[in-house]
Amino acid sequence: MILYVWKTQQLGIKTFEHLYMVFITLIIVIVIGISIGIFIYKKQNLSNIILNFLNVIETVPELALLVILIPLFGIGIKPTLVASVLYSILPIARNTYVGLTNVDFQYIEIARAIGLSDKEILWKVRIPLALPLLAAGIRIAIVFTMGVVTLGGLIAAGGLGGPIQTGIHLYDKNIILVTGLWIGILAVLLDSIGNFFETLLRKRYGQ
Amino acid sequence: MNNIFVAIGEHLLLAYSALFVAIGLAIPLAVISLYNRYLASTLLLLANLAQAIPSFAVVAIVVPLLGIGFKPAIFAIILRIILPLFKNTYIGLKNIDYTYLDSAKGIGLNEREILLYVRFPNAYPAIFAGVKFAAVIANSVAIITSLIGAGGLGEFIYEGLSNLNMTKVLKGAIPAIIIAVLLDIGFTFIENKFTLER
Repeated sequence: MILYVWKTQQLGIKTFEHLYMVFITLIIVIVIGISIGIFIYKKQNLSNIILNFLNVIETVPELALLVILIPLFGIGIKPTLVASVLYSILPIARNTYVGLTNVDFQYIEIARAIGLSDKEILWKVRIPLALPLLAAGIRIAIVFTMGVVTLGGLIAAGGLGGPIQTGIHLYDKNIILVTGLWIGILAVLLDSIGNFFETLLRKRYGQ
Repeated sequence: MNNIFVAIGEHLLLAYSALFVAIGLAIPLAVISLYNRYLASTLLLLANLAQAIPSFAVVAIVVPLLGIGFKPAIFAIILRIILPLFKNTYIGLKNIDYTYLDSAKGIGLNEREILLYVRFPNAYPAIFAGVKFAAVIANSVAIITSLIGAGGLGEFIYEGLSNLNMTKVLKGAIPAIIIAVLLDIGFTFIENKFTLER
C-alpha cells in the first residue's frame, strides 16, 4: 500500500519539491532575519515597533496569509515562498536581537579592556555568543516553513500538500494516511537535525 | 452558503469549542503528570515532537480515522493544541521556587492545598501564555479544516480557489485575519492586566 501510493502520487519528486521550497525559504529568511535582528540591535528604539509588527503577522492564519498574496504574486511557488518567509522572519530576527542584547556584561567589559572597538565587539563577541539562540530561531523557522509549504499544495505550489488535497477530494484514505504520516516524519526529522546543530552550538558557546 | 456572518459564527464555534475542550483536558493531564514522572516525560517528548508537524498534516491524518465534517475538525484542532497547552501548564506548575513549597509544607498545607493555593497561582502566567498560543493556532487550523467539510470561513477560501474567484477568497481570508489580530490585541490586553496585578 505504501509503495503503491508512493509511486502513483510521485511522493519522491513531491518530497524533493517540498524540501527545495523549504531550503530556498530558509536561505532568504536567514539573511533577512539576521539583518533585521542586527538592525534593531543598532536602533533599539525601533525594536519594539518592528517586533510587534512581526508578531502580528505570526497570528494571521497561515492559509489566509497564503491566499491573500495571490492577487500580488499569482498562484504557485511565489506566494508560498513569500508567505513562508513572512512567517519565519520573527523567530530569527527576535532571537538574533535577544542573543545580541543579552550578552553577559562581563564579556563586554573585558572586550573593552583589551581595546576592541564597538564594531569588533559586535562581530567577535556578541555575534558568536548569540549563535545558539540564532540556531534555536532557525529551528522554529524550519517548523513554520514546513507548515506553510505544506499548505502551498492547495495553491498549486507542488510539494507534499498536493497529494493530501488529492486524497481528501477522492476520499482515498491510503493516500491521506501515507502522505500525512510521511510529512509528519519528515518534519520531525528536520527538527531533530536542527536540534542537533543547536545543541552543538550551545556546547561550543555555552550560555 | 453565502452569509459571511454565519461563516464567522461557525469559525468561532469551531475554534473555541475545541480550545475549551483542549484546556479542559490539558490541565488535569498536567496535574496528573506532576505526580507521575513517567507520564510527564512521555507527554513532554510527544509535545516536542508534535510541534514540528504541520497543521495540514494533522488535519489530514484525522480523516482516515474519523471521516470528514464538524466533529473530526474539532478533534483535529484539539489534537493540534492539546500538547502545547499541556506543556505550558506542566512547566508552570512544576517550575516553582522550592522555598514556596517548603514554606507551604512548613505551615502544614497538604498536597491538594499546595496545588490549589501555591502551584496554580504561580503558574497562571505560563498557563495564560499557553492559552494565547493555542488560541492563535486554533484560529488558523479552523481555516484549514474547512477542507474536510467543517464549514466556516475557510469554505469561502476553498470555493474561491477552486473557481478562481478572488473576491470570494478574500471574503474568507480578510475576516480571518481581522479575527486573528483582534484576538492578539485582546489577549495582550488581558495579559498586561494580569501581570500588573501580580
